[in-house]
Order: sequence, then C-alpha cells, then structure tokens
Amino acid sequence: MHITQGQFSFLPPLTEAEIRAQVDYAISKGWAVAIEWTDDPHPRNVYWSMWGPPMFEIRDGAAVTFELEACRKANPDSYIKINAFDNTRGVESTVMSFIVNRPAHEPGFGLTRQEADGRNIRYTTRPYSTERPGR
Amino acid sequence: MTLKFHADQTEAQMGMQTEGRITDIKERYKGGVLKYKQMGYWRPDYAPKDTDFICVFRITPQEGVDTEEAAAAVAGESSTATWTVVWTDMLTAHEDYQAKAYRIDPVPGTGPGTDKEAQYFAYIAYDIILFEEGSIANVTASLIGNVFSFKPLKAARLEDIRIPVAYVKTFKGPPTGIIVERERLDKYGRPLLGATMKPKLGLSGKNYGRVVYEGLTGGLDFTKDDENINSQPFMHWRDRFLFCMEAVNKAQANSGEIKGHYLNITAATMEDMYERAEMAKALGSNIIMVDLIIGWTAIQSISNWARKNDMILHMHRAGHGTYTRQKNHGVSFRVIAKWLRLAGVDHLHAGTAVGKLEGDPMTVQGYYNVCRDSVTRQDFSRGLFFDQDWADLRKVMPVASGGIHAGQMHQLLHLFGDDVVLQFGGGTIGHPGGIQAGATANRVGIEAMVKARNEGRDILNEGPDILRAAAKWCKPLEQALETWKDVSFNYNSTDTPDFVATPTASN
Amino acid sequence: MSEIDLQQILREANIGEVLEQLDNELVGLVPVKQRIREIAAFLVVSRARQQLGIESAAPSLHMCFTGNPGTGKTTVALRMADMLHRLGYVRKGHVVSVTRDDLVGQYIGHTAPKTREILKKAMGGVLFIDEAYYLYRPENERDYGQEAIEILLQVMENNREDLVVILAGYKDRMDTFFQSNPGMSSRIAHHIDFPDYSQSELVEIAGKMMSNMHYRFDAGALQAIAEYIAQRRQQPHFANARSIRNALDRARLRHANRVFEAAASGASKPTAETLSTITEADIRASRVFDGGNGSGKGKATQS
Repeated sequence: MHITQGQFSFLPPLTEAEIRAQVDYAISKGWAVAIEWTDDPHPRNVYWSMWGPPMFEIRDGAAVTFELEACRKANPDSYIKINAFDNTRGVESTVMSFIVNRPAHEPGFGLTRQEADGRNIRYTTRPYSTERPGR
Repeated sequence: MTLKFHADQTEAQMGMQTEGRITDIKERYKGGVLKYKQMGYWRPDYAPKDTDFICVFRITPQEGVDTEEAAAAVAGESSTATWTVVWTDMLTAHEDYQAKAYRIDPVPGTGPGTDKEAQYFAYIAYDIILFEEGSIANVTASLIGNVFSFKPLKAARLEDIRIPVAYVKTFKGPPTGIIVERERLDKYGRPLLGATMKPKLGLSGKNYGRVVYEGLTGGLDFTKDDENINSQPFMHWRDRFLFCMEAVNKAQANSGEIKGHYLNITAATMEDMYERAEMAKALGSNIIMVDLIIGWTAIQSISNWARKNDMILHMHRAGHGTYTRQKNHGVSFRVIAKWLRLAGVDHLHAGTAVGKLEGDPMTVQGYYNVCRDSVTRQDFSRGLFFDQDWADLRKVMPVASGGIHAGQMHQLLHLFGDDVVLQFGGGTIGHPGGIQAGATANRVGIEAMVKARNEGRDILNEGPDILRAAAKWCKPLEQALETWKDVSFNYNSTDTPDFVATPTASN
Repeated sequence: MSEIDLQQILREANIGEVLEQLDNELVGLVPVKQRIREIAAFLVVSRARQQLGIESAAPSLHMCFTGNPGTGKTTVALRMADMLHRLGYVRKGHVVSVTRDDLVGQYIGHTAPKTREILKKAMGGVLFIDEAYYLYRPENERDYGQEAIEILLQVMENNREDLVVILAGYKDRMDTFFQSNPGMSSRIAHHIDFPDYSQSELVEIAGKMMSNMHYRFDAGALQAIAEYIAQRRQQPHFANARSIRNALDRARLRHANRVFEAAASGASKPTAETLSTITEADIRASRVFDGGNGSGKGKATQS
C-alpha cells in the first residue's frame, strides 16, 4: 500500500535537496510553510497534528528542514507532510501539500459495505492503522 | 425629463435633427417610423455609469446600412424599441430604458483593403433597471433575445460584456468554488486529472464502472460521464450511479486519496434531474454534472440544489459550438463563461488550446481568466474588452478536455497553471498498457512537471526532457510518450483575437 | 585545476564595494576595519580552498563584537552579513537583531519555541544578539536563559551553513559571559573589539549625520558642537555616536522651534538657508553646558 495524497506521491521519495527546492519556491511566493504529521492518513482526516505553527516570516528553506528533522526524530514512523499557505484575498487556503515521510509499512484501508434499501450501499473507509491502538 | 413642445420649430432645425437624435418631443412621438438614431439609441456623448451593463457587439451591417444606425438598431432591439414609434414610451422614464450605443470601432483586419467585409465593434450601455436580479434567463432574453435575427444586420456577435458589480452581487455564483473544492478533495498545488469514459455509448453499467475503477486506481482524481450519457437502453442511470460509486469508493480505499466521478444528471425534466441528484447524494458522490443544453433556468435551479447539498457541480458545455465558434455571428464563449460563473457552476469546460477542439491559446486563456480571476483585467490580446470586478464571487475551475495527452503536459501547465482539471479520455483509456497505466502516465507526467516548475526550470522549453527523464523509471509514461509522440492538432482556429500585441520601443 | 585566482573571487563577490561602503558609513574605527579586511581575506581563501577540495567543511563564522554603545557594531553587522552573502557563506544575507527578551520566555516550556522561532527567521542570514550576556543569569539557577543558550549552541554547531550568529555587548561583561560558558566561547571564531571614538572622530560623525539629514552647521555651531562633545564625553551614560545622534535630534527640535517662532512673530520669513542651518544657539541651549536648560532660548538671531 502506498498512499497517493499530495502533490508528488507518484514520484520517487523527494531527497532533502528536492524538499528544500519546493520549500524555497513556497517562500519565494510569500507563502507560509507548515509541517503536519499523523499515523491515520484516512482520506477525510483533514486535521493532521501541527508540528508547531505555520512558519510565516522565514527567509530560507533551512528553517523548514530544521523543523522537519525535529518532527522526523519525534515521529519517525509516521506520515509527515509539508503544506504551503497563501493568504491572498480570494485564496486564503493551502496551495501546496506533499508527503515527505512515510511509515516503513503503510497499512492501508479496508472498505466496509453496508447494504441499504434497494441496491444502495453505504461505504466506510476504515484505516488499518487505527486497529492497533497504542502502537 | 421635462416635456417641451415647440410648435414653431423651423424646417432647418428639423432637417438637422433627422441626422441624429430628435429631442423635440412632438417630432419624436409623431406616429410613423423613425431611425433608431433619431429615437436616441445612438448617443456618442454618453458616458456609461458604473452600474450599467456594457456590451460590445461585433456587427456586420447589410449593404448600404449606416454603421451608426446599425449600432443604434442593436441597442434598440436589445432594449425597448420596436419597429415603429409608440406613444406609450412617454408613460415611462424611457431614456433610462433605452440602451445606448455610444462607441463604434472598426474591427482590425476587416473592411476596405482587406478580404473581409467591414465589421464594427459597437459598444452599448444598458441601465441596470432593465434586468431582474439574479436571473441569467432575463439577461439573455434582453441581450441576445431578438437582435441576432434582425434584418438590417448580416451578422452580429456578442463579444464581451461588463457586468456591473451591483448586479454581480445579486448572484450566489459557484456552489463550491475552486478553493473549497480543493479543501474538500484535499488536493493542492497541481492541476487535477480526469478522464471521460470511452466509448461514449454502449457500455453496460458494470463494464462502465470497471473503466472508472481502473482510471481512478491508476492515479486520476476524477472520471467523467460523457455529455450524452443519460439513461439509454444499454445503461439505466441508476445502474451507472451504483456501479460508478462502487468504483469510486474502492479506488479511494486503494489509494487513500479522495476520488470522484462526475455523475451526469442531465435529463428530460427538472424533476428527473433532482431525482438523479438526490440518488448521487445518497450514494455519497461528491460531484454531479449537467450539460449546458439544459438551459439557464435549469442551471440556476440545479446550482441552488448543489449549494444546499455540498455537491460540486460540473458543467459540460455541450452545444456551445453552435453559437460560439463562428467569429462573425453568435455569442463569444467568454460571455457564456461570465454568465455561467454568475449562474453558479464549479467546473466548466473552457478549452485546451492544444487539443482536438477549437481554441486559440490566447483566446482560451481569456476564458480561463474569466473563470478564475478576482478581477479580470482588460486584455485585448486575450479578447477581454473590459475590466470585470467579480466582487469576491467564488471561482470556477476550468476543465481542459478533448484530444490531449501526456506528451503535452508542459504546454498545458504553462498555459493554464495549477487551477484546472486536465482531462485525458482517449489519452488514458487508449494507453497500450491499459487504463491504469494510462492514468499513471498522466499522473507521473503532471507531478514531474509541477515539481520541475517549482524548482525553477523552464518547463516550456525543457518539458520534453523532463518527461523523458521521468519516463526512464516510469514505464507507462514511456509508453504514452511513444504512442502519442506525433499527435497534435495544428488547425487554424476560427475564433482568434482581433488585436495582436505589437512590440513597442521602450527607452 | 590547481591554481586559483584569489583576486577573481574577490572581484566576483564585489567585496571592495562592501569595504568601501563601510569606509563611507563609518568614521574612524581603523582597527575594526582592519579586522574586517582580515576576515574578508580569510573567507576568500577558505572559498578557494573549498574549490580546490583542500577544505570540505564550512568554517565556523560565528563572531563576537565587543565595545561600548554607539561604536558601530550594528552597522558593521549589516555590512558583514552583506559580505558573507556575496561570498556565498549565507544564502540570503538578512540580519535579525534580537535581545534576551526575544529569545527567553516567561514560563516553563516557553523558551524553546521562542528561540527556535527566532533562529528560523534568521536562517539564511545573520542573527545579531545584542547584550548577549543577559542570556546568562547565574544568580537565578532556574533562569530560562540557559535553555536558550543550549539551543543556540546546538544550532551554531549543526547549522553552520544556515546562519551566522554575532554576539554583541560590552567587552568586560562579554568576557565574564564566555568564562562561564566555555561552549559558547569555543564556537566563536572571530572577535572584533570596537574602540570608543576620539574627540575629532565624534565631531566628524556629527557633521556627517547633519549632512545626511540635509542640515548644516554654521561656524558658531561647529565650534559649539565640538565643545559639547568634549563635555558630554566626560559625563556618565555617554554612548558614542548614539549620544551624538540624540544631541543632534534635540538641536533640530530647537532649530525648528526657533525658525517657527521667528516666522510667527514676523521677524523673518524662513528660507531654504534658515530651514537647514543649525546655529550656535541651537547647540548651546543643551543642558550639557553650564547654565542649564534654555539659556539661549528665545534669543536666537538670524545668522
């Protein structure tokens, strides 16, 4: 299982230099950069844990690498993504998001089908990662 | 307005007035026929108000018809005038209801000395009182109601429209908008990828759902019903919905990524459309689709429904080519796009520039601007005649669909940026390695291109190299590049800009 | 390639321009300027050694600027950042200037995020910590300053390529600070001591400041400012160039008041000349002179 959320999930894992290049692009656009992590990458898990607040006034990608290293150290077997945020009127939302760390084993999801009236089916996507609490 | 009767007017004065607007009330409302200019529809001194609509029509007058009179006629026929004088005008503040042609420019490259008959851009202003709030049906009934069949004109085309902010604010606009759509899908910083299911017709529900599943699992964000997939004998709509949603949910679980299929709910009646929309919602679909041919009233109705039900609304512009393509007659697509943004759609097919369907690159970029700008700026080289303030109305996600493939990824990203759905139908399903491989080729292609652009590379020129480099480790992309390497559609567009930017010397 | 052209590295980085700017901006400071030239040479040579593969690791470039207030430490830090940027030792070349309060929090768990925040802002440039010794308060063993120092040390060691730290403050206090924090001392590669300005340098500085603000001294004012400086230097809290700037700001206020009153009373109409000339009276009204506050006030004449 390989989760394909984010901008670059179909490419080989980004190197440190490649991550840095993307972050520098975000900084050059005046976007705030944030790091988030989770062990439950359910497609509708919108709120991953923030690794500190978004970095608003940084001038250089080294600042993000600095925090990313710390986040990786604290959560080595988690999903970590880098987001960029544009506060321009009319956007005011995330404008970049890419995964920079994955667990060694990605457990993936199961699909539960509940038969409803007629032939209707109600679907539930169930993350295997949450079936082993306390891991 | 003050009424003045001058019984003792001289012949000389009257003679002068037959050339232009007659202000003398007695003369103006004498029974019979007057020229439109005389009735006050040609007002070269008029300065449009901020609250006026401004339309620019491309007109081709019949032989011998005076240009100003032709422009005045368009103003008249699209607002209050009828072929003869009516005294009942005097019961109204009729000067306000009269549209006013105030400017005429010859169209570059037409008329004497060229191989085209003379055409003119006629600028016409309409007072806001002419239009019912929040109704595109009403706007179109006036602006393109009778005037396009009007005999003194050989042809007429509504090129562009400036909609006053005051009127823009009477619409709710797109039910979702680009920003919220991305937040719902959790997809940022790259174009979205889609594919239209092929063959268009004949697949059973189960087979159809298989194509959806393969495409989404391979890496697409969306798949799409084609415009004429409704509920034909080979596939009942309920079957289509059930099988497609099974495919969507399974692909979603496989990838951990939100997926969607545009369920086409276009149907014979509004009641049928609501029924299909409700079913899509019950099955958990995040998006529905309608065709442009359902008409303005149905579009606004289904837009309201989508807004109430957290549904993204995809608009396929089926039928538009019948009136947008020919340059001398019809309505420009940029005007249709403006009306659709007000009427409220989230996705709009707006051209590819490089694919199989009509579309000059600059002109197509103009449509994209109309969909996505907060304020669209006047830009003649992209066919945009006016500044248009959208008053924070949500933005429409343009869709590029029709004859595009992975080998054009750099051109598409360069032309359209991130906020677009790139739809590869044949370019996914026709892949020699299968549908999943086709989807993967497109996804790898776009991710590699976005990454390279962000790294500061010149994708327009280095694009083919970037794709080849990714193809070295991605077999499906290699196959795609090989299969479609020579495919391009280099036909001349019919709808091209009339104004070309000329380099000016700068010191 | 085994030969390398040092002059070319120097030329390409346009270091001459930075040194020239420094000369123009700062009066005197001969030993400081000499040290900066030495550091520039060291940076150029290191660059050359890296290019030839003799040296692999980036040199430690953290610095300490000691000297009394108003001796040009902040200005030199700005030029130093520029120089480091031109030679490719920092990527952006900006300066983030902070004091203890920007780094150290008020309660537990507050300091680390604050310090990291500042470090992140400074990355790509220079972090200038004024009166750095306030970070260390041995009298309070639970002082959070120590936490900031530890994070600083870590980053100064591990992120050498990302930022340069300059500590600044009084020489004696900095020496004490280093004695108690040998870790910090060992990470500082370059020490620059900023001497106090001489009487004549201070007079020159005053003239420069005036002309930068498009004012001029008349002959009497020139004499008065020299006397002012001579007396002010002997008094407590003298802060070199900063004290001069403050004195001139006050003189400009008095000048404005004088010109305004003269115009209001109809005595004279202001001209470009009177609007930009500081006279003796504007200076002598200072409390620094005997006779105290306002001795010249209201008696100003047009020069």
